[in-house]
Amino acid sequence: MYCNQYREAIQELAEGTIGPVRRAELQTHLDQCDGCRTLAADLRKIREAASALDHPAPPAHVWMQIAGRLRQEGRLSAPPSQRRHYALLALAAALVLSVGTSLWLVVSHRGIATRAPIESAAQGNGNVATGDAVQSITDDLKVAEQHYQSAISKLEQAAKNNDGAIDPQTAAVLEKNLTVIDQAIAESRTALKSEPQSQPARDSLFEALRRKVTLLQDTIALMNEMRKGNSAGAAQIVEGGNKS
Amino acid sequence: MPVAAEPVQAGRAQEMALVERCARGDLAAFEEIYRAHSGKLYSLACRMLGNPTDAEDLLQEIFLSAHRKLDGFRGDSALGTWLYRLATNHCLDYLRSRAARSNQLTDTIGDELPLPDAGSRGIAERTVSKMDLERAVAQLPEGARAAFVLHDVQGLEHKEVAEALGIAEGTSKSQVHKARLRLRALLSGKGA
Repeated sequence: MYCNQYREAIQELAEGTIGPVRRAELQTHLDQCDGCRTLAADLRKIREAASALDHPAPPAHVWMQIAGRLRQEGRLSAPPSQRRHYALLALAAALVLSVGTSLWLVVSHRGIATRAPIESAAQGNGNVATGDAVQSITDDLKVAEQHYQSAISKLEQAAKNNDGAIDPQTAAVLEKNLTVIDQAIAESRTALKSEPQSQPARDSLFEALRRKVTLLQDTIALMNEMRKGNSAGAAQIVEGGNKS
Repeated sequence: MPVAAEPVQAGRAQEMALVERCARGDLAAFEEIYRAHSGKLYSLACRMLGNPTDAEDLLQEIFLSAHRKLDGFRGDSALGTWLYRLATNHCLDYLRSRAARSNQLTDTIGDELPLPDAGSRGIAERTVSKMDLERAVAQLPEGARAAFVLHDVQGLEHKEVAEALGIAEGTSKSQVHKARLRLRALLSGKGA
């Protein structure tokens, strides 16, 4: 077949390795042959599309599992003793208990608040509020929430960069704790949607957001102390967490 | 070229220093290696295995195996190339055991090339979506898929692809080209 003699040249063209003489010769053929011209254009298109494909990043937990396995297999210079491992797990659990108790108080407080709308809302013609007032409060809330969310994103990123310092079991306990807080945030948001003017409901949302910021800060500090092998420092953090 | 050789040598020296720290059990050094290479290896594993969950598990195995074998790394090639080789071997082993379980075994593409079809409308004139391309890549035989992903997606040179796959450079060129032709056929709806 006439086109077959250009097969290798088309391959070289797609690779970008074709020399000027062969390129000129191939071009003459491409000018006359629709099939080979289309083939060359398609191969270039496939190369371009392939190089533009996304490169997904592995989830953070993969590194944590690798670090945990390396520790378990005793392949690190200062493998934590089993005793220390359980001690750290207990410290993380204490942190969870502390945050869990605070959240229970926050959620209970909010429960009462949403059942009893604030006084000003009950005044006047009996409507909860005018549309403008509600909009203004909603806008203020949005700005304040953005402030917290920005801090949370930065801390989450920092925690992600620090992962691997905590063994998988402890990390799972802390993750569970974060899930509880996220649930409280979601519940507060739902309550605020139905009662936009409820001050206690607003407070409970910000309290939950503040708790998340604190927990993330504590988690990072805990990671740093564990990295250093400083159980006493980790205990101090948990103690501080219990007091907040 | 001496100008280019200096940064390469400096890079290798840095890599060897990291490897030595890993051998002493330094987790931070291994994390540095993980941060530098895990993205590329995960991307390769996702495309080779076809799903992110299996790719996550395999990535874990790749790095655990790398940690075990690092003391055998002599710096003859770049650490990235060495890791690619380890990763592709893991991917191919995984696929072979999966294929053996389902009695399907494909590897490289033979010489049964789809030749240019003078009457066909090409794909160059239309948009090729990322999803279509990903789907078509998943249908390539694994040997050709590995060569294509390493070269056209990850941007490795044929010499590096050959090193990673343990094949000749010419075989890498030929497999990548055949993969592109197969993809063309798949994307234009003509099947494999």
